[in-house]
Amino acid sequence: MEASSIDIVVFAPLAPVLGVLLFWFIQLVFIESEKYLLSKIRPNHEPFCRFTNFLGILFQTICHALGYTVTKSGISNFHLGVDYGKVVPKKEKKGIFEWISNVFLFIGPFFIPAFLLLVCLYFLMSSGFEIVTPSQLLELKYTFGEQINTFGASLYFFANGFFNFLLNIDLLHPAHFGFLMLMVFLGMGIRPSYIGKEKREKVDMLYDLKNIKTLFLNKPLCLITLFAFAYFFFYVSFWLGQNWYVAFFIILGWLSIISLVSLIIADMILLLIKTTDEIPGGWKVFSYVTMPVSYIIARVFFFYFPTDFTKTVSILILIISTITVTYLLLKRKSNKFKTKRDIKKLKKNSKGEKDG
Amino acid sequence: MDEDELLKGEEVEKILSPHPLSFMRFQSLSIFLVIWGVLVLWLLNASEWKIYFADNFWLSLSFWGIGLLLAGIVASLITIRWSIFILYACVFASGTGFIFWLGLQGIIGIFIPVYTIFISILGFILVEFYRRSHKYYISNQRITFKGGIVTKQERTLRYDKITDINAKQGIIGQIFGFGTIIPISQSGFGLGSDKSFAGGGVALGEKKLKLFGLFGGGKEVQTPRTRSYYELHGVYPYKEVKKLVEELVQGNVITPYQQEQVEFQKEQVDIQKQMRDLLKMQSDSKVDQKGEEESSEDQKS
Repeated sequence: MEASSIDIVVFAPLAPVLGVLLFWFIQLVFIESEKYLLSKIRPNHEPFCRFTNFLGILFQTICHALGYTVTKSGISNFHLGVDYGKVVPKKEKKGIFEWISNVFLFIGPFFIPAFLLLVCLYFLMSSGFEIVTPSQLLELKYTFGEQINTFGASLYFFANGFFNFLLNIDLLHPAHFGFLMLMVFLGMGIRPSYIGKEKREKVDMLYDLKNIKTLFLNKPLCLITLFAFAYFFFYVSFWLGQNWYVAFFIILGWLSIISLVSLIIADMILLLIKTTDEIPGGWKVFSYVTMPVSYIIARVFFFYFPTDFTKTVSILILIISTITVTYLLLKRKSNKFKTKRDIKKLKKNSKGEKDG
Repeated sequence: MDEDELLKGEEVEKILSPHPLSFMRFQSLSIFLVIWGVLVLWLLNASEWKIYFADNFWLSLSFWGIGLLLAGIVASLITIRWSIFILYACVFASGTGFIFWLGLQGIIGIFIPVYTIFISILGFILVEFYRRSHKYYISNQRITFKGGIVTKQERTLRYDKITDINAKQGIIGQIFGFGTIIPISQSGFGLGSDKSFAGGGVALGEKKLKLFGLFGGGKEVQTPRTRSYYELHGVYPYKEVKKLVEELVQGNVITPYQQEQVEFQKEQVDIQKQMRDLLKMQSDSKVDQKGEEESSEDQKS
């Protein structure tokens, strides 16, 4: 099979871009679920929501400031609060520079915080950072197929290493525990939409996309320049025989995977908070206490009776015992998971108590 | 505030205490000790470097001590408060003292972390006692600040004596809804000063001939700052309390129009007083005249 020249010249550079875009859309979907969960727990957990707001604004303002620094606009005013963040440039630059700073503002929060985690991960993870080209694609060098496959294969290796690391994470290791905390914070802070004091119903994924669409359509020349630069970068890589172009997008893909996993972990925590809100009184504390207690008990047990997969099993025990305790509390202390017969029995009992 | 402490017509609007997280600058010292204790426990007993610390008492002790003292130096430099360094140095010195006194060199890997965590718990308890010793009473006439664990301190501030209100809310305060309100009195109570000084020296020349010069400069900036006993420290709900205090101050401050009215009323009172005196004088002179007339009539008869 021979690679066609039109494939190499026109379609190949688009392959990794499409891959990153796909991941980015998945991120947006998870962000929507996070926003939904946050809006549900807001009445009972106002400070917690303010904290997540602060994280979101912190990431946004840092990205905005970074945009102004990269474009050499300078920063004259930097304000950061729980409800509001503002970065004012020293010089108002127009054209491509303004566009680049806006790109940092809109797209930066998806990737820049994840970059910090990637740096940490480099020191913690043993494998997964290799850029792999499947051997059967050697004949299709620099084609759309090779680009997308290289992108996918490298992402697969990274994801493999990353999930392996997560499943074997040692929560009694300060660096691992710190990394997990950072991940949770990052997951709660990736919310580039409006995060203000007043509630705005219309601010959602479509609002974000509309903003980005306007950003691209208002300055078509900038978009064309960006594409021209991407093609140029691809041709230079092709000419030098080094696939730097795809390597760049692979790093963006890694960042997307980290962001996605962070979002999923944050969503799980938010879901636990939302679920435990239905447990009356102080009983809900048991769900949270179960997490460290079950993990420590498991680790102590495996210390005396060592087996393979100690850390993985301990994490599984943590997850299963938390879910079980929460389920039991919900069943016993609330009307959730009760059959009709149980509810009737409960009503009968309470009626009897009243009469008695 | 006891009933007998209230003034005539005084009503207490709010009784406040600092928020549990408002003394984070003290609590963070304990938080560091907990983290350091856990880290040392892991390093000495469970990490891949534990072999370096095993059977090496001095290395373990030095590592723990250097970490503590370095953190103390960094925190002291950032906050410009050497008391933090002294505090951590005391923790290190007392810990070392206990090890030698009780002969715990053999179990240093357990003793040091346990001792560090114990001290941090003690720190949390002390900070909590200190926080609970604060009480602020906002009445319709004044603000009373009370506090002190052993020595009781009290400050009373009438609203008409407040010239300025300074309010601040940190990030934790913004998240949990508490903040600090400093009422500044006419005498300047509630104001502190930030001082900065820069100095340098130059020595020139070799062997016998030496020139030495010294130059320096200082700057002082007045800033709202006072002890937590004399301000509404970390009060919750911040916005509500701030509004209440501002309204009470506003209610006790005479506006220019009201001042004009008071002066006008004063003039009126003065005029009325003068008229009253004149009338009195007139009536007195009439009485005198009448008396004189009567006495002259008596003489005639």
